[in-house]
Amino acid sequence: MAAIISVSVQAEGFDPGEEYRSLRSENFADGATAMFVGNVRDFSPIEPVGSPVENSKGNSVAVLELEHYPGMAESALTDIARQAAQRWPLGRVRVIHRFGQLRAGEEIVFVGTSSAHRQAALDACAFIMDFLKSRAPFWKKEIGQGAESGHWVQARHSDEDALKKW
Amino acid sequence: MIKVLFFAGLREQLGCDALDVDAADIASIAQLRTRLAGKDAAWQSALASEQLQVAVNQRLATMHADVKDGDEVAFFPPVTGG
Repeated sequence: MAAIISVSVQAEGFDPGEEYRSLRSENFADGATAMFVGNVRDFSPIEPVGSPVENSKGNSVAVLELEHYPGMAESALTDIARQAAQRWPLGRVRVIHRFGQLRAGEEIVFVGTSSAHRQAALDACAFIMDFLKSRAPFWKKEIGQGAESGHWVQARHSDEDALKKW
Repeated sequence: MIKVLFFAGLREQLGCDALDVDAADIASIAQLRTRLAGKDAAWQSALASEQLQVAVNQRLATMHADVKDGDEVAFFPPVTGG
């Protein structure tokens, strides 16, 4: 049976508990549910010396601005979810990605998968997150406290490398 | 016409989020990129980045991809969502 896939790209927040209940509602075939929630950190990571992001060292992130490519963001996430559903026997897949201005602690992204068994649910959830990070058209800009312009977060080679394991 | 979009840091560098380009004489992304880079030094510098990614009709593509009249092409830096 084909997986039920639901994708949302939205400015509004979401409730992970509600998403869990929705993944489980009337779902008696799947004994496993895996979920990932990404939240806005309150500090930028310390970048290695020579990194282009020198001004992010330890600066407090007041606001994270998420830009996206409307239309393509939805289709890229749907495509990634479909690939996961072709590869693992999934019952349901739910992906949410927010855009706009987010504050430290707020939820940015949600990936939930359900399957008859845990390994498929866990692997599919990790697969979707890995591809989302390198293939879905979203860009983060960190705007520090008191800063007027902020700076764009640089892509990491480790994110691209993470795809190789799949 | 080819509809061209720019996102994130590239959009800011160019001070431009969208423009239409005459499709005559443009058959590939590489040719479109060369045409845009010819606008001035700032465009040439911004579009020279090897990191630049491209999508044709909202699907990721390579710089070798074909492009034709009516297509939507987007250029952007490596994505950083999640």
